[in-house]
Amino acid sequence: MKTYILRRVAQSALTLLGVSVLVFVILRVLPGDPARMLLPDGAPESAVAELNRQLGLREPLIVQYGLFLRSVARGDFGQSFQYRAPALRVVVERLPATVQLTVAAMLVTIAAGVSLGIGTAVRRGTRYDVAGTILAVLGQSLPNFWLGIMLILLFGVALRWLPTSGFAGWTSLVLPAVTLAAFPTALVARLTRSSMLEILNRDYIRTGRAKGLAERSVVLRHALRNAAIPVLTVIGLQIGALLGGAVITESVFAWPGMGKLIVDAIFFRDFPVVQTVLILSATVFVAINLLVDLLYTVIDPRIRYS
Amino acid sequence: MREQHSRPDHLGRRDFLAVTGTALALASAPALAAGQAKRSGEIAAGLSERMLTLDPANHYSISTTSVLRHLFDPLVDVTNDSKFVPALAETWRPVNNTTWRFTLRKGVTFHDGTPFNADSVVFTLRRVQGNAKLIKSFVYQDIESVEKDGDYGVVVTSKRPFGSLPAHLTMLGMLPASAGKNEEAFFQKPIGTGPFRFASWTHGDQIAMTANPTYWKPGIPKVEKVTFRFIPELSTRTAALRAGELQVIDRVTPDLVETLKGTRGVKVLDVPAIEAQRWIFQLGKEPVKDQRLRQAISLAIDRGVIIKELLRGYGRPVDSPVPPGLIGHMTLPPKVYDPEKARQILKQAGYANVSVDIVLMKDFYPKQLEITQAVAAMLGDVGIKLNIKNLEIASAREQRTAGTYDLFFSGWAHMPHDPDWYFGQWFTKAGSEKLTRYANPRVEQLIAEGRVPDAKVRQAKYEELERIVWDEDAEIWLYYTVAIYGVSDRLRNFEARRDYYVLLSDVSIV
Amino acid sequence: MAAREDTGALRRWGQRHPTMTIGGMLLGLVVLASLFAPAVARHDPIKPSFSQRLSPPWGLGGTPAHVLGTDNLGRDILARLLYGGRVSLALAVAAVAIAGVVGVVVGLAASWGGGTADAVIMRVADVQLAFPVIMLAIAIVAVVGTNPLTLVGVLALSGWVLYARTIRAHVLTIRGLDYIDAAAMLGASDLRVILRHVLPNTVAPILVIGSSQFATMVLLESGLSFLGLGIQAPLPSWGSMLAEGRDYLSNAWWLATAPGLMIALVVLGANLLGDGLRDLLDPTLRNVEG
Repeated sequence: MKTYILRRVAQSALTLLGVSVLVFVILRVLPGDPARMLLPDGAPESAVAELNRQLGLREPLIVQYGLFLRSVARGDFGQSFQYRAPALRVVVERLPATVQLTVAAMLVTIAAGVSLGIGTAVRRGTRYDVAGTILAVLGQSLPNFWLGIMLILLFGVALRWLPTSGFAGWTSLVLPAVTLAAFPTALVARLTRSSMLEILNRDYIRTGRAKGLAERSVVLRHALRNAAIPVLTVIGLQIGALLGGAVITESVFAWPGMGKLIVDAIFFRDFPVVQTVLILSATVFVAINLLVDLLYTVIDPRIRYS
Repeated sequence: MREQHSRPDHLGRRDFLAVTGTALALASAPALAAGQAKRSGEIAAGLSERMLTLDPANHYSISTTSVLRHLFDPLVDVTNDSKFVPALAETWRPVNNTTWRFTLRKGVTFHDGTPFNADSVVFTLRRVQGNAKLIKSFVYQDIESVEKDGDYGVVVTSKRPFGSLPAHLTMLGMLPASAGKNEEAFFQKPIGTGPFRFASWTHGDQIAMTANPTYWKPGIPKVEKVTFRFIPELSTRTAALRAGELQVIDRVTPDLVETLKGTRGVKVLDVPAIEAQRWIFQLGKEPVKDQRLRQAISLAIDRGVIIKELLRGYGRPVDSPVPPGLIGHMTLPPKVYDPEKARQILKQAGYANVSVDIVLMKDFYPKQLEITQAVAAMLGDVGIKLNIKNLEIASAREQRTAGTYDLFFSGWAHMPHDPDWYFGQWFTKAGSEKLTRYANPRVEQLIAEGRVPDAKVRQAKYEELERIVWDEDAEIWLYYTVAIYGVSDRLRNFEARRDYYVLLSDVSIV
Repeated sequence: MAAREDTGALRRWGQRHPTMTIGGMLLGLVVLASLFAPAVARHDPIKPSFSQRLSPPWGLGGTPAHVLGTDNLGRDILARLLYGGRVSLALAVAAVAIAGVVGVVVGLAASWGGGTADAVIMRVADVQLAFPVIMLAIAIVAVVGTNPLTLVGVLALSGWVLYARTIRAHVLTIRGLDYIDAAAMLGASDLRVILRHVLPNTVAPILVIGSSQFATMVLLESGLSFLGLGIQAPLPSWGSMLAEGRDYLSNAWWLATAPGLMIALVVLGANLLGDGLRDLLDPTLRNVEG
């Protein structure tokens, strides 16, 4: 067990290094350059060239990467090209909003998704199942921005029950979290349902029923545990999606999160910010998936980790 | 630049009224000391463009200029009808073609109590000229020296005539000389002489400012607190206004005007802006190198329909490359819509099935994709195929630099209220080398001659050069934009500005 | 006589498998309508008509000439939906197919191969997953250019990992089951074991994922269109219609709602079809009541 953990940790570290190299290279291979994005259209070429030089972008790639690694080791992620402030500070400023939104959306996803999945699986074929399926489909297919703006128009403008946008207090968290959670909830619901259905009819469940165990304990204890694996897989993947892919929700709700930060930074060619966000979120992502993998072994001892 | 204030008593009518008004108020209400007018309330404004920095010298963004105007004062202000009025400089005059002399306002203090004087101006100007890392630096490269002339005078000399210097200075807030000790720390909590003091900000999200009780203009500001939020998403910005969370928003699109007008507590203000929407050509490349093709393209575009139907009337026809109100504006023969003539020209010139690419910077200008598609249909009617390339901004600009485009959707907002920058950038060989590849020696000469401070000379030079580029169809000038603002009924004295600035120092809220 | 018997059998079969039938019919309807777009749509999807801008749908203030209303350039929305459907459906199908094949193969290789193969593959997957799809998309499109093939590639790239990981987890569970060991002990080759015992057990999750992925692909295409990386104007795709309708939600909500509902319809059909297929193929579920 211990060797397994150590090995997984080493693998995670390798993943992170791989990510950092990939980010670094891709950014510098992209067409367009940061100086041209910062300077207005009316700036002469000499100014563009000079600014690029000042930003350290004229050095060979290896040199740039080496300098980058060295400063990261010191905790210095460089200066944001856009904001001219330490990239780390710019990113960390966005952490509270990001974490709150991610956690809230995750909670909604797990609570709503799993219960919807179980509910429709147990009541298979009835109109509850149909309604639940339609709800899941809508959650999956309605675009983020559509849902978000409609919610804003209804609850923010027409009813004035909730703030329309911005990060200010827990009331402003409701609409963005619901919007962001819609898609993963649907996914989790459908996957839970299908896993549950599969398990509910395995032989040992039937045996359990025959033995007279209460339906509920049959469902909850055995079925749920076995259905957890694919569900956990999806949740693990969705966290990555939530972190990096919340950009549309953040745009719609003017939510100062990292999703929008990184997309803006990519478009602006703000290399230090992109690098910082990706490395930080990759770290979180890798850590969470490490956790999920370890949970696999706890839940299902049959998994062989040769 | 139209008028110079060479003597303090040459005040505009507005200033005169302000002065007499204040004098009367002082005379009739001795208990009310100047600057102690009753302030109350808070205003929240929503801007579409993110603000990136608190350093007036390190950006060229309209929204940042708007916001920083509340923290810092420049030497010269510009009114909504493009008149230059004193701010921290009481007078400014050209001693000769390459020297400007400024006399400064006395009795002004920074937010920390230290006095404003020539040291501040010298520091600010030397800093922007000398530090190549600053975004605005390239504009001030012509400056040769900045010297004190007593505690309240500054003399600026330049290598070449710099007639538009005061215009550019309207966008440069004055910093205290002490900022030089530790710039990074300074810009975390900047201090200026402006009507508001810095309270807090989150990068790219919002900034809050509180009133400066010792501001040098009496009765200003009129509110206790001002917050600017940056909300690029149009629907969200308008929703916040309609829900009463914001009191003013900028960049409203023509399609939303009716919706806002129909909302209780909200009104719409619009004003013709000093911005032209234009398509530029890669003049060094076939086939748009050919003036006949450019002319045909211009003739095939029904600008009237674009303004009437797509912009719902919120646009104006272009009559010269320089918008009305600025020096250099004139009335040239309008660009007509004549598809039949376009077809003839194409036939004569031998363009049977010509195909051209237009590059757009994604989401940069409102309705750009809509207008481009409309024009594509118009061009299709005369036999020109327009391929639309809607690219992310960096890639689009890269193509423009590399010259691998035929047409490019562009615009120009005359932020300094002066066309010298526009001409110098787009119509000189050096300036347009990586842009339009324009080269015309006569035009280049006229631009150089138009740099002198004499307004009459500038007007004449600009008129001559505009006739040339107009006839050449060097660009497709589509329309002048109209700035549309959504404003809460609770605001008093808000002015819809032509330069897209949202200025709140003399706005009050009920 | 024989023909009527056949249709009778078909109908009974359809009644026994309602979910699959409904799903299939929904999808079939949309696919057919899109395929025959030129015949079904009565208007040109590309030519603007300025005087007809932003007409509401028929019944909500509009005219019967434009059943679903018109967009910001006066173009008929139904026509654009149908023509756009061709593009979006084709892209999504291609992307799901490629992602599925790649993902399953990789997942099987990783879980059956074990050891180093597994480690390397999973690391690659991790690295790619830690990357926002958007950044990869921007990079690829910026270098290669926008064209439908690139788009399919980018979409497929975003999807294969879900298949791979789920298959892998599934296989790792199954591997411990007795009959797998028995088959292996009896001398069946690895490939045979995979094809006959493992693969059929993975069909259910593949189908479910596949039908979910379909929606993801269509929505991802819309996301890429937001970023200017998708289908170029004036050609319609559901994604670009969503993007163009985004700024009009407050005053002309039908621009974005029509493609959104269309996507929902297609997703519903795909899901039902997927569920139905799973029911059909997974014997253990055949005798379930209720």
